[in-house]
Amino acid sequence: MKKKPTIGIFKFTGCAGCQLELLHLEDVFINLLDIVDITYWVMVKRENTEGPWDISLVEGGISTPEEIEEIKEIRKKSKILVAFGDCAVNGCIPSIRNWIPQMEAEQCVYSDTSSIHSTKILGIGEYVKVDMVLKGCPPHRENIIEVIKSSLLNIRPRLRQHPVCMECKLKDNACLIISKNLPCMGPVTSAGCGAICPSLNRICEGCYGPMSNPNTSALADVFRKMGYSEEDIKRKFRKYAGMTPEFRKEAGD
Amino acid sequence: MGNEKAFTIEKNDFGRLLEHLLKKYRVFGPTQRGLDATFNEIKTNDQLFLDYVSTVLPPKKFFHPPRLELFSFDLHQKHVKIEEIKQDEKTLLLGIHPCDVHALLRLDDFFLGEFQDPYYQNRRKNTVLVALNCIEPSDYAFCNSMGTGPFLEEGYDLLLTDIGTKYLIEIGSDTGQNILKGIQLENATTADFTEKNHRFKLLEKRFKRFINTSWLSKIAQENIDHEVWERLGEQGGVSGSLPCLSCGQCSLVCPTCYCYDVYDTLDLSLKKGKRIRELDSCQLLEYGEVAQGGNFRPNRKDRIRHWMLCKLGVAAGGQQSSCVGCGRCIRTCPVGIDITEVAKVLRGE
Repeated sequence: MKKKPTIGIFKFTGCAGCQLELLHLEDVFINLLDIVDITYWVMVKRENTEGPWDISLVEGGISTPEEIEEIKEIRKKSKILVAFGDCAVNGCIPSIRNWIPQMEAEQCVYSDTSSIHSTKILGIGEYVKVDMVLKGCPPHRENIIEVIKSSLLNIRPRLRQHPVCMECKLKDNACLIISKNLPCMGPVTSAGCGAICPSLNRICEGCYGPMSNPNTSALADVFRKMGYSEEDIKRKFRKYAGMTPEFRKEAGD
Repeated sequence: MGNEKAFTIEKNDFGRLLEHLLKKYRVFGPTQRGLDATFNEIKTNDQLFLDYVSTVLPPKKFFHPPRLELFSFDLHQKHVKIEEIKQDEKTLLLGIHPCDVHALLRLDDFFLGEFQDPYYQNRRKNTVLVALNCIEPSDYAFCNSMGTGPFLEEGYDLLLTDIGTKYLIEIGSDTGQNILKGIQLENATTADFTEKNHRFKLLEKRFKRFINTSWLSKIAQENIDHEVWERLGEQGGVSGSLPCLSCGQCSLVCPTCYCYDVYDTLDLSLKKGKRIRELDSCQLLEYGEVAQGGNFRPNRKDRIRHWMLCKLGVAAGGQQSSCVGCGRCIRTCPVGIDITEVAKVLRGE
């Protein structure tokens, strides 16, 4: 029998939600195992092998010197390295701490910080070459499958970088900004979620990070017109993707 | 307009007409959803919201669906096996406004012109249009300027007009005539038509937005370097708007925007899959992307200009994709961009 391609799944600084999303594939998970062999997945498997892997899905941002070394090791052993979810892409929610001094952040959690050596939280792309990017907090299951399928076929995955508004409009939703005067991040946020939040009358929080070529300053002006303060606006752009060059402009220094 | 071809039905008796239509067709019509209306399937009279002003998505979604599965394929055998996914169901669109009927006539030009699109053709052929003249123009509409409303002259099978306590029903095609067989309706009187004309005259005065269309395409075409595009794309905005977000909403809610993307999707066997057609938008960076990372419209300014010119009858499809004045793009724009204001600036007004 032909050997199945191998997959390794790794976690750094994050919440493990992306890995859970993979488990939530449920009905198609068995079919997935027909075409790939997951040889490393500590969260799920008792026996794991040390690579190499055809596809490595890396969850979480990099926040310690040890993690920098580990991600470099994984890179060496992987053919295709996927930044799996926002933390691995750009640091995501943990990166909010990058706006306060390192010592202060450490002291918020640990009473004795003498053994803590943390760095600023950054995506894995800061340290190693990344082949594919799976945006989202967590990424949508369809997109996870798309990345695995296109890796196996050696083609470019179809992951549109257009705004959430596209998916929202295709669902026949009225725009929350104009109909309810709500500060929705949809017009600058990358789609892929299927506009879940706006479809439930909740604003987009921006969890997929920036879309391609977003006009962040115009949206910040929309929020200002609604009466939001500069601090409010900074917080909105910092929440999920403040470290990206696109959102950094509005997230402040 | 011959009276012999027209009827009336009392509004509180409308359910009887709907039941009659439901016997033969799957009926879709305007329903209320929050503050807005959308077209949905209608099963009972109380779901119907005929007093609607406008909908989020235009009825184009029934003829040119946002996401359509064209066919399935199977690569297991030597020869690729292909199966068409067809839609042959008889449907009826109830309460479609004049601007949206005009938009369909333009889509017909595109999809059924030189090249016949079987997917569109099939849906169009199997759908009856029961149009409804507008009761109140939306705050954003300017169909009156575009010659596409608020009352309809062509393109319908049946046409309803609210004339107070009843609807006037006019017949526009043989299909329309046949639909009304087997239902008892009052014959329309001259007074009913007088009332219709009277309402039309009142309605015309209530529009809040206008476009002077005289030579407009020509003017737009000659002004592709106008500073208004820079203001729209980057900074300043136009008449109180902010610069464009490139969110693509304007083109998705536009009843004449037909641009689409086609792609294949495989299941986990990696052998079987489907070909999908999905609505696209020229406002997106990826729309103008070609091989080797090239892009015809890398700047926001280029993209919003392209769309505006298209709607003013210049770019791409020309008249086939030009504006019908429904006002949906103005209503949905998060930064308040208004095509009627852009037209004024282009004219130097």
